[in-house]
Amino acid sequence: MPILSVQNLHKHYGPVHALKGVSFDVPAGSVFGILGPNGSGKTTLLGIMMDIIKPTSGTFQLFDETPSAKLRSQIGTLLETPNFYHYLTAVQNLRIAAKIKGRGEADVERVLGMVDLLARKNSRFSTYSLGMKQRLAVASCLLGNPEVLVFDEPTNGLDPVGIAETRELIKKLNKEGKTIIMASHMLDEVEKVCTHVAILQKGVLISNGHVDEILVNEDIVEISSKNLETLSRKVQQLPGATHVKINQQYVEVFFPSGEAMLENINQYCFEKGEVLNHLRLRRKSLETKFFELTQTNNTQKK
Amino acid sequence: MLKLLKIEWLKLKNYRTFWILASLYVISIFGINYIVYRIQEEIYNEKQAKGVAEMVMGSRPYEFPIVWQMASYVSSFLLFFPGLFLIILVTNEYSYKTHRQNIIDGWSRSQFISVKIALAVIPALFSTLLVFIVATGFGLAGKEPFDTNKIYYLGYYFIQALSYSMVALLFAILFKRGGLAIGVFFLYAVVLENLVGGLMNHYLNYSGRYLPLESTDNLIPLPLFQQVQKNIIPSANFTALFIVALIYLVIYYIVINRKFKTDDL
Repeated sequence: MPILSVQNLHKHYGPVHALKGVSFDVPAGSVFGILGPNGSGKTTLLGIMMDIIKPTSGTFQLFDETPSAKLRSQIGTLLETPNFYHYLTAVQNLRIAAKIKGRGEADVERVLGMVDLLARKNSRFSTYSLGMKQRLAVASCLLGNPEVLVFDEPTNGLDPVGIAETRELIKKLNKEGKTIIMASHMLDEVEKVCTHVAILQKGVLISNGHVDEILVNEDIVEISSKNLETLSRKVQQLPGATHVKINQQYVEVFFPSGEAMLENINQYCFEKGEVLNHLRLRRKSLETKFFELTQTNNTQKK
Repeated sequence: MLKLLKIEWLKLKNYRTFWILASLYVISIFGINYIVYRIQEEIYNEKQAKGVAEMVMGSRPYEFPIVWQMASYVSSFLLFFPGLFLIILVTNEYSYKTHRQNIIDGWSRSQFISVKIALAVIPALFSTLLVFIVATGFGLAGKEPFDTNKIYYLGYYFIQALSYSMVALLFAILFKRGGLAIGVFFLYAVVLENLVGGLMNHYLNYSGRYLPLESTDNLIPLPLFQQVQKNIIPSANFTALFIVALIYLVIYYIVINRKFKTDDL
């Protein structure tokens, strides 16, 4: 049973087409990353899930059921910014959230402990730093120990320690069997934390699946010889290579990260009668990959 | 609903602005009536003017049973205050974005908006109760015995108070930003409607009486100078005013609900 299933969601804000027919499923037990640059429609998507934004068309199901307020109360959600009453303390704010969720107030202390805010629990929200506000929002999500958590940019505004702690927390929650849906514009965050990813760009879902399949880290070896055509044909059989691409100057041979051995490649080509005049290893960063994924989509549209 | 109201109470009870405004309102309701009461005492106790005052103005307004009407009439000048309070409460939710969070956390949109409408009814009830206490107090201080004749003016006062609160809630939901909603509410309630109403009364056969807030204002006429009033302006069709006031309340209710339930929050 998918935790969340989205079918053909569209959203228009006046002339802006923020979501253009997005469909995907979030499998139970996954850490599902929604990755995309700012303005790609991540928050709109999560907002629709939470009934604070009305979709122009399309449907979605939570836990295989028609969405309802009751189902929402079983999901811990942090959307965009921490939203609390500024004049109330952390405890008073969490009591309100707990009551709305229909959870006991006893849980308030526990979740404040989990995000290390017990020492400041009776301070007003308005006196909190940005990082503390963010942690309080995470605490609020954890009220009642929900099976599904939704985080929109969970490490936003945190210092490096806070970022590491939050990522650890997400992994820990996932290990306990919880499903986590998180939106992020940071590729390395998605790569470090998520098991699944959906990449959004300008409201279009351009890729979606297991993180290992979508965000493969690759070694790319550029080679060239007199005749690129024959060279590329010969290196197709190169042991370990995943695929081969040819462009105007080089043949590019792709290997899984860290597995490209230049000496072996050189020797292989020589044995096949190809004398290389260029051999260079290029490690492809995730950023390049992400850039490439989003860029290709751009050019396709043109 | 009780469960929802308990949650609203958690939001309110530690909100200092609420307590300050509520206390000031209680004091002001008493205060404004006391001022008018003192003026009455001055005029009616003046030996030379005594007979003239009663002839022109009518019997003492702070005596039973007219005191029900008089206290309602005088207190209604402060009805913008519960409205102001309501606008602050609702636009706070917008500026803290807690209206989103409440729904994310598991309220339905209709739960959220229905508890806000309940919050418009409660100050109207509270205000009516205050007027009851003040009118009883001043009435008992007077010379006439306790009399519940004309106490139905408190019912009209409640409708008037509810209309002001609902208009305030409507503006809060439409404009979302506190300053803007308060500005528009005050200008509308204090200046614009009176201006338009005055012009309509002058040129369009007193139709200005049926404007949203005017219709409820006119439910409780000033109990003084009634003889004089009758000679200058034709008296209002009370039943029509009453029905129009109720229709407006239904319209506010529908618009507020629809707006909140269909908008992106």
